[in-house]
Amino acid sequence: MNLAIILATLRQRFTSPMRLVFLVVLGSTSMLPILLSPGSGFALLGDCYFMVLTLAAGMIGQDVSSGTIQLALARPVTRAQYVFSKWLAVTAGTWFVVVLQAVAAALLMAARGAPVPWSGAALFLANNALVALGAAAVMALLSALVPGLGDLGLLFLTFLSAQVLAGIGSSRSWGALVRAAEELQRFLKPQLEIGPIVHGDPVSWFAVISYFSTVTLCLALAIVVMNRRELSYASSGA
Amino acid sequence: MPPPALDSAPAATPGRTPQVRPRTGSTRRDPLVLLAIAVVLLALRMAFGIQEARQGAAEASRGAPVERVHWRALEAGLAEARTTGKPLLYDFTADWCPPCRLMQREIFADPGAAAELDRRFVPVRILDRMREEGRNAAWVDSLQTRFHVNSFPTLVIVRPDGGTPVRIEGYLGRDFTLGRIEDARVRVRTQAILPPAGLGR
Repeated sequence: MNLAIILATLRQRFTSPMRLVFLVVLGSTSMLPILLSPGSGFALLGDCYFMVLTLAAGMIGQDVSSGTIQLALARPVTRAQYVFSKWLAVTAGTWFVVVLQAVAAALLMAARGAPVPWSGAALFLANNALVALGAAAVMALLSALVPGLGDLGLLFLTFLSAQVLAGIGSSRSWGALVRAAEELQRFLKPQLEIGPIVHGDPVSWFAVISYFSTVTLCLALAIVVMNRRELSYASSGA
Repeated sequence: MPPPALDSAPAATPGRTPQVRPRTGSTRRDPLVLLAIAVVLLALRMAFGIQEARQGAAEASRGAPVERVHWRALEAGLAEARTTGKPLLYDFTADWCPPCRLMQREIFADPGAAAELDRRFVPVRILDRMREEGRNAAWVDSLQTRFHVNSFPTLVIVRPDGGTPVRIEGYLGRDFTLGRIEDARVRVRTQAILPPAGLGR
């Protein structure tokens, strides 16, 4: 990984007014249930999936379409390092927002006289760290495939396809198709609940391996795609 | 003495090391180790997926925990509720419903919460199979119509001798839901104590 790329990505993401507006809207709407029912704990905040999408959209594709990637790769940086750095930057940025969200929720609970469930807060942060790592890896792959913000469109289309497949499978009672659609959705939104592991409940090894399989596969494919991408250093205006 | 060729490597000078070493290797090396790990994990994923599917444990693939609530069959639950006078707690749920699984994990698998529910209610689970099988058993449809169940999860608390059922739709967190279940229990108990509206006139 490359610290300069990580910092540059964080600066780029957190100085984008549109992304900041989305983050504020997502963060503040997630606070409403806490405001209405402060004793309900951190589970009401939901997960940070849409925050990841907000920060990850165009994480590589925008660099490609704006020509920034040529400058980044002019440094002694491998493309694998570039992809890893982008992935870690988005994950770290999202987790930073999640921590702010948790602090705000805890303050809100305390202000409303409700006890703050600290173990719930730790679980919330850990679960969201995994959501951020997983979703950022998927977005890294999609962003390596298409320029600009096309990764969001690709994600939406794939989700839509999975829903259509699930619908067809359900209506025709084709279990294999329903299962394929579930797997597609699991791939697009990798999740791993830490709660059962912490509480000593039986752990689904399939769920654990699915999560890590998706993350490694997405990162590996993103690097392979980037390695095969030809970048032009010529200026079109010259 | 001929001048050194421009493209030749600098001659090693005893006692001096070059300050800048040229980079070796490509910046486009494929991540072979990562690819190997990804392939191994993908193979394991398929193996575990097939294994869990063979076991018929659809819940296991979604990480469903062992539930501690002792769910009764409908007839047995109705009989027990009439005998003990405890209200019925219907859990209308479906296998594909993520909030239902979250509720199962956070409430029905929690020993303390499950013991309280078992103590205060007669729990009866109604599993919707419409999505999987295209239809439900007639008694499931009948209960869903009777209690106006349109979404999952829906909890219904009702006295064994009838009365107005109290419905709790959706899952908004453990403490919130447990609070609403307790409120509902108090409400249906109050229905039993207070005379029906209009009786005292």
